[in-house]
Amino acid sequence: MRTKPRLRSLAPFMIFAVTMSAAIAIGMARPGFPQVKPAEDSPQQLEEGNKLFYARCGYCHLAGGTGTIMLGRRLGKDRALLGQRTDLTAAYVIKITRVGLNSMPPHTRIEVPDSELDLIAAYITRPASARTPAPPPPNGATHE
Amino acid sequence: MPLVLPPNVSEKNFQKALDAFAGVVGRQWVLATDEDRNTYMDIYAPGDADEHIPSAAVGPQSAEEVQAVVRIANEYKVPLWPISRGKNLGYGAAAPRMSGTVVLDLGRMKRILDVNERFGYCLIEPGVGFFDLFAYLQEHKIPLWMSVPANAWGSVVGNALERGYGYTPYGDNTRNICGMEIVLPNGDMVRTGTGAMSNSPCWQLFKYGFGPSWDQVFVQSNFGVVTKLGMWLMPEPEATLGLNIQLPNPDDVGWAVDQLQPLRLSGVLQQSPSIGNSLRIVAAQSQRSQWYQGDGAMPDDVLRTVLDKFNLGWWNINLRLYGYDDVNEAHAKIIKAAFAKHTQKQFEIVKWHRGDPIADSGAGVPSATALQIINWRGGRGGHLGFSPVLPPTSEHVLKQFHSTKKRYEEIGVDYYGSFTLFERYTTNINMMIYDRDDTAMTTKVRSLFKVLVADAAKEGYSEYRTHLSDMDDVALTFDFNNHALLRLNETVKDALDPNGILAPGKQGIWPKAFRGARA
Repeated sequence: MRTKPRLRSLAPFMIFAVTMSAAIAIGMARPGFPQVKPAEDSPQQLEEGNKLFYARCGYCHLAGGTGTIMLGRRLGKDRALLGQRTDLTAAYVIKITRVGLNSMPPHTRIEVPDSELDLIAAYITRPASARTPAPPPPNGATHE
Repeated sequence: MPLVLPPNVSEKNFQKALDAFAGVVGRQWVLATDEDRNTYMDIYAPGDADEHIPSAAVGPQSAEEVQAVVRIANEYKVPLWPISRGKNLGYGAAAPRMSGTVVLDLGRMKRILDVNERFGYCLIEPGVGFFDLFAYLQEHKIPLWMSVPANAWGSVVGNALERGYGYTPYGDNTRNICGMEIVLPNGDMVRTGTGAMSNSPCWQLFKYGFGPSWDQVFVQSNFGVVTKLGMWLMPEPEATLGLNIQLPNPDDVGWAVDQLQPLRLSGVLQQSPSIGNSLRIVAAQSQRSQWYQGDGAMPDDVLRTVLDKFNLGWWNINLRLYGYDDVNEAHAKIIKAAFAKHTQKQFEIVKWHRGDPIADSGAGVPSATALQIINWRGGRGGHLGFSPVLPPTSEHVLKQFHSTKKRYEEIGVDYYGSFTLFERYTTNINMMIYDRDDTAMTTKVRSLFKVLVADAAKEGYSEYRTHLSDMDDVALTFDFNNHALLRLNETVKDALDPNGILAPGKQGIWPKAFRGARA
């Protein structure tokens, strides 16, 4: 018999829906977007942002996910994987997470608290060389 | 979304209630900005988002905080709409039935409290998602399998409480509930089954307890807030054997149901297979505009071209046998013989043995890829589910299939349907996919939905689950003895919840305080 009380907040393999229009996917800072200071994040914060990205955004933004498929259709395969993008700003990531875009729904501050979103945004706006390689998706499960 | 106050609550009292909530959960977990309200709207709303506007959300982290929030709600007569993770997609998502209701978001309560390998169960909180539990089982190498629905973004507890299902032998998630902890509408707390004893070792083992068994009373219900739930999990089998087949003709679903039903009832087939039309797969892998740009439902000849392109049948069936290798082989032989009476087509066989990659196993492996279907029509997609339950015979299934497809075509929506076969009934899930911003399209979808509910009711078919906007209509189809069941539900509701603060209108059950809001 195994009994393991434990607080669980992260699941490492998820997929999350986003479809971004080409017109605004560049993610330039603009009026109405929160102004986020470029983060001077510690390696620990980047690692935490990495974990949170996979846990909160991975539902749709890993290989084979809905968000990846839709971004690929709209922007081309080289810009389909959000974790490999180099053209996003933190402010843009934060705003789109909260208001949604096309088929991507908005996300509540309970599902992705502000503190977590800041870390996620800081992580995926780091230079690609500062990011951890993506783990492979866990399965090829279909919806049957 | 600007503030819509709860009925009969002043702005001053509403603000006092929010302040009191903040005193319990902390200011940061009371969400009441315009942007916050938007995040709790129905993300797939078929043109009816304005009918289900939340006024705020509050996020407790413990059952004790839930109790305190419920007591405050009673004090200020502010209604609450409990959600687990708010992913009831196609049925209203996180949005409340009645505008002005405060969403009680249990997403912060995500503890996995117990996993018992020997007896095959877990005890979890509502915020635990399918991905969370799967990751936990994998990380700790616990050989128990979950039953996972098509879209696994949501909560294990929430799915079971809405009678969702997956595709393993433990597929009926509601059937696997064993023991709950519930906060009642007056703030009291109760545990069901043997959990009503303070020291029982059997809370997740024996469902019934002593006297009336209450678990199912809190399923699809507004009688309490479930804060902990026991769920039986399936022991990992030695092997699985998958049998996949495509059937080329629309009427093939009739004989397929007649052949499979006795095998399902006798236990040759332990899981509940889904017989789905090809649009389920086509919509996940492409968009409509690639194949057809015309108005109205996609014509059958265009669909046939698409099927050929994807090498799909009109209906597609994935069966899976779970257990010992020799037994699976014997059962596969019986299934093949049954199908050979009607088709020369052969099954594609998929074998898995313990130790092979889990992706090929037929275990409940979470995925959210099914969300892709909503992009079928382009724009901001959404879907609505029409889900009647019928007897699993060819007569019922063919009649319902043809009647539903005809309605889709009359109104101009692409037919998307499936029949999931349980031992003694089949659940006929029909999806309507639309662009949320195309008012003409959502208007058509809503009118189609109402027609389908009325058609089904004439045949005596109920729905197993429905969207917020149609809960009253569906509840009224349960009309025996002048709607005696609804009268019973509302008698219980008024007794447990005299202020009517818990999920008014859910499943068509209205408390006295808000009964005038019934559609």
